[in-house]
Amino acid sequence: MSSDPDKMMSKADKMTKLTLTRWSADWRGATELYEQAANGFRASNKYEKAKVALEKASKGQEMQASPWDAAKHMESAAALAQKLSIWNEVADFYRKASELYTECGRAQPASDALGKAARALEDVKPDDAIQLYTDACEILEEDGRDQMAFDLYRACANVYIKLEKFTDAATFFLRLGVAADKCDATNSQCKAYLSAIIVYLYAHDLKQAEKCYNDCSQIDAFLKSDQSRSATRLLTAYNEGDIEEIKKVASSSTVSNLDHSIIKLARKLPTGDVTPIQMNTNDDLDEDDLT
Amino acid sequence: MPVIDIIFRVDEICKKYDKYDVDKHRELGASGDDAFSRLFTSIDSDIEAVLRKAELASTETNRAAAVAMNAEVRRTKARLAEDVVKLQKLAVKKVKGLTREERESRCDLVIALADRIQDVPDGNEHAAKQVNNDWGGASAPNKNIKFDMSEEDMDDGFFQESEESSQFRQEYEMRKKKQDEGLDVISEGLDALKNLARDMNEELDKQVPLMEEMETKVDGATSDLRNTNVRLKKQLVQMRSSRNFCIDIVLLCVILGIVSYIYNALK
Repeated sequence: MSSDPDKMMSKADKMTKLTLTRWSADWRGATELYEQAANGFRASNKYEKAKVALEKASKGQEMQASPWDAAKHMESAAALAQKLSIWNEVADFYRKASELYTECGRAQPASDALGKAARALEDVKPDDAIQLYTDACEILEEDGRDQMAFDLYRACANVYIKLEKFTDAATFFLRLGVAADKCDATNSQCKAYLSAIIVYLYAHDLKQAEKCYNDCSQIDAFLKSDQSRSATRLLTAYNEGDIEEIKKVASSSTVSNLDHSIIKLARKLPTGDVTPIQMNTNDDLDEDDLT
Repeated sequence: MPVIDIIFRVDEICKKYDKYDVDKHRELGASGDDAFSRLFTSIDSDIEAVLRKAELASTETNRAAAVAMNAEVRRTKARLAEDVVKLQKLAVKKVKGLTREERESRCDLVIALADRIQDVPDGNEHAAKQVNNDWGGASAPNKNIKFDMSEEDMDDGFFQESEESSQFRQEYEMRKKKQDEGLDVISEGLDALKNLARDMNEELDKQVPLMEEMETKVDGATSDLRNTNVRLKKQLVQMRSSRNFCIDIVLLCVILGIVSYIYNALK
């Protein structure tokens, strides 16, 4: 067995090509050679070639009906592509790996692969990253493992916040709330709702924030929680135009327990002018009316 | 001294030095806002006056004077009963800034007030018996408690705030403030702990199904391993059984014999 990776590659390629003398491709041997070639390339820092070798190794494993190994090779190829900053390949490879994992029936690694892809693409191609995060969450939810999806939802919402698309970010927090509700994770649920309200307030959309708060108050767990109390304080402070109170709530421990990006948003509240809104008097009863 | 006597003595002393009770005065002042509290306090003070009159009436030796006083007490009681009805109507009204529980407690207060008015002794034997049956009858032990200090000693200067007492009060306020600050710090720390604990709780809940999965997989792996070990042991035992060993040695000796024979023959 020659130790030169290039020679190994060419040998393996010859093994897989169908010619007159070769009627069926020898995938087993070829895959072994591809793997060894890839290791050799990696050792000598020739990442481009290593990536190609890994791709072919993965194909070989697939032909041998072992999707697990194929997926593993795909992931390594994707990691190399990330190092080389070839972004569309990163996305493609990770997607392929995720499909192979799903073939094995393993949802967690599948979604992990998509998560890794999304994380890699967060800065460069945020829209693709969001799509990848959403797909990863769907895979987990189909499998019934909602709890693992929390982190993905949070990461996705962070991307939206970075893109300043606040309604989308709030929507994702509400989706987090739904997932948390399914697994009875009340603390995460309440934190998600409070984050959504803060995001709406940061976008200076007071009506939306109040509507969100009213919707969330339908849920018992949120109504009785600390987060709901902080939300009420914030909203009343907004209604009364009390900036001190807003700052006090933003630096309270309840808010400081949320995600970093939300804490940053909260510290920057209030955005824009806060004018006191007329409170409706609910008392229609006259004090002297003894009926 | 039984506890009940101590309680009544303390009540008497508190009543005597009532004007120093800052909290009570603040409370009275604050609650003067709405009609209910005003009427309540006025009825309260009226009841106190009636009680004192009833006491005097019971200790009065002159029969005529006693009868007159009792009649007055009865008149006042009737008037107060009417006021209580008005008070009850006020109690049920919705007032701004008052919670539902406070309104309910107000109704209870009105009922208690009505009972107190009924219990005021107005020369009626039955009423007195009722009061004495109740261990909580405030009028009976009242007669036994006397203050040794006479009224003349208590001139204006007696109740004045001295420098020491005002300093004491200031120090008390300062220490109370420091305690409050300390408690605030503790409460913040506890909040942080609570949040951390909740997050940890959820994380552990997340790990539970993973651990279960791991457990099943590891169980499968251990049983596989055990099976393999047993089979391997059986194989080894079979291979190394003494019968095979002896056969091996015998054959070796035979071969050695043949080789030495050939060697000798060739020499």
